[in-house]
Amino acid sequence: MNDDSPVQILKNNIWYSNPIFIQILGICSTLAVTNNLTNTVIMTVGLIFVAVFTNLTVSLLKNLIPRKVRMILQTLIIAFYVIIVDILLRAYLPEVSKSLGPYVGLIITNCIIMGRAEAFAQSHGPLISMWDGVTSGLGYMWVLMIIAFVRELMGFGTLFGITVLPAGFTPWTIMVMAPSAFFLLGTFIWVAKTIILRQEAK
Amino acid sequence: MKKDSLFYTVLVSVVFAFLFVYLLSLAYGATKGKVEENQKLIEARAYLVAAGIEVDNGMDIEASFNSSFPNFDTESAYQTTTVKGKSVVVSPFKGNGLWGTITGVIGLTSDLRRIVGFEIVTHVETPGLGGRIDETWFKDQFKGEYAEKGIIVKHGAGGGDTDPDNGQVDGITGASRTSDAIQVIVNNQIDILKKDLGGMN
Repeated sequence: MNDDSPVQILKNNIWYSNPIFIQILGICSTLAVTNNLTNTVIMTVGLIFVAVFTNLTVSLLKNLIPRKVRMILQTLIIAFYVIIVDILLRAYLPEVSKSLGPYVGLIITNCIIMGRAEAFAQSHGPLISMWDGVTSGLGYMWVLMIIAFVRELMGFGTLFGITVLPAGFTPWTIMVMAPSAFFLLGTFIWVAKTIILRQEAK
Repeated sequence: MKKDSLFYTVLVSVVFAFLFVYLLSLAYGATKGKVEENQKLIEARAYLVAAGIEVDNGMDIEASFNSSFPNFDTESAYQTTTVKGKSVVVSPFKGNGLWGTITGVIGLTSDLRRIVGFEIVTHVETPGLGGRIDETWFKDQFKGEYAEKGIIVKHGAGGGDTDPDNGQVDGITGASRTSDAIQVIVNNQIDILKKDLGGMN
């Protein structure tokens, strides 16, 4: 199958070259926001938004941008959309903006966006680039959701802020802190790689 | 024009930088009023919470604020009001957290012996760690707390300190620096109020 077909891009970004567990991109935010499902959802939705529009813009402007300054202009475009997200949250979802605080700004440093802009949008058309942005974001989202699910459940005994575990449950403090994301991510990569290697062996 | 020439490179960079910043300033200008309105509501709500007034989602915060603080004096460092027959001193505070400034509002009984309410307005502490100072269980610990000699934010079990008479609240597990900062900020504010209101005792 053609590598650039929409279905293949979806499969690649969700599984075969998933940004988190294959490309190991965007790890800083994986460690930071995943102790709480609500923040994780908002962060990943923000990332999808920024990835889609950055890819679109980079793809549209790629013929105008000189090679020498293309990365700095990509950063400018990414920063632009991240600030837009921040402004929208502040104006229309002040509660969310308050709880997410500085992490919206950190989407700028998320390597997935820069990586996809440079590796995909620079050499592809606008529509397929947007699709690549959506699927990369989704590939990031589902992995983070699983990690956040375990961390919030074990660390606070809650899911989306609603208590689900009985009152006698002792929260695992380590799950709230960054190191637990390392362990969980490591375990995740181990499981995913094992499955991929088994598929390849067949 | 050659795409690799110096002139073209500089031109494109400048034009793009200008264009994107211009669009941002438009977006900022368009939402400025709304953002300020939100900020005002958050502050008004914080004053109500600090004064010990129950705030629920459906209530008209602005109206309640105006009736609770009819003589709001923007020049003064503190406001006084009467809630359920008791007079309360409410004052905005400001101090250094781990990453940046923490601002909020604290209410004390007029003899400054007990805290009535405590609310955070802005902070940039780590989400999930220091950022948890904005969670209800943490802020509720201050309600009614004995604070004549200041408060101590201690390394507790993380479940919250429910004894209002020991002058202690539980800090945030994994965020000692932010917890310490809160202790300093709250105690400083109590000292400032003691100085300002010294004549009243």
